[in-house]
Amino acid sequence: MEELSQHILDLAYNSLEAGATCIEITIREDTAANVLEIIVRDNGRGMAREDVPRVLDPFFTTKDRKRVGLGIPLLQEAVDRCDGFFEIEAQPLVGVTVRALFPHNHLDRAPLGDISGAISVLLAGNRSLNLTYKHHYNGQTFCFETGEFKNMLGDIPIHRPDIMVWLEKHLAREIANLREAEKNEEHQRTG
Amino acid sequence: MKSIKELDELREKIKQEMSAREQSHEVIITVNMGTCGIAAGARDIVKTLLEELKERGLNEVALTQTACDGIHKYEPVLEVKKGTEKTTYVNVNPDKTREIVRKHLVEGEVVKEWTTPAE
Repeated sequence: MEELSQHILDLAYNSLEAGATCIEITIREDTAANVLEIIVRDNGRGMAREDVPRVLDPFFTTKDRKRVGLGIPLLQEAVDRCDGFFEIEAQPLVGVTVRALFPHNHLDRAPLGDISGAISVLLAGNRSLNLTYKHHYNGQTFCFETGEFKNMLGDIPIHRPDIMVWLEKHLAREIANLREAEKNEEHQRTG
Repeated sequence: MKSIKELDELREKIKQEMSAREQSHEVIITVNMGTCGIAAGARDIVKTLLEELKERGLNEVALTQTACDGIHKYEPVLEVKKGTEKTTYVNVNPDKTREIVRKHLVEGEVVKEWTTPAE
């Protein structure tokens, strides 16, 4: 995977495969503390605690299909490559929370990449998913919720290509604003 | 807020379109979003599809996704289902995706050279 947003997308599809109807994606960037943290939480069927170490094994899968579960080992590898921290919290019937923490400025940390594209793609194929996206950047927060967005759309279906293209651009703009706000402030101060 | 005003305008436009046109979901496009698919660029394929479908006014086409890992060397895989006819395109990229929408969905012609060999 070239971007962290691809790992996030992969985690989201794991959640969907586990029957999740709600997914919460949180990204926290704190450049002073040198942290980029990703948390993906779902309400899927979860798994037994004793199975958690096993999902790190590429040849373990709980899925019915004969699939080799490469997603989690790939993410762990991305974390380990830059001495980050990785954790899976799981309970049967409650859901799974995956947490990955990276040193923000590490040279081997993959870029976050196209997260707005990842969100619109996820929603385009999963219209009934309740998704919450929270992005914190140095104390500022941007939040997107499908529930609120669907209310704004009224009787227009969320997954329409024209709506999804609009949403992708809207999210890209908002997230860029969030991450740029501080830099702009600095520019203003210096002149 | 500029973008919210934009959304209101888009909503109005869609409402008019929706009442003018009968809903048809006869075309279903499926993209494999398993780990291999994502690693091979499936996200950009769906993004390109959304943009191209919007550009061509094909907003009623249903888009679905599977997360089952197929055969790595064929990813990204895109499947077009039109009624009972099913076509699987392999190793697609954004350019091929736009071409598939144009030829297959608009002109109704399967792009044979990008489909799986029939055994």
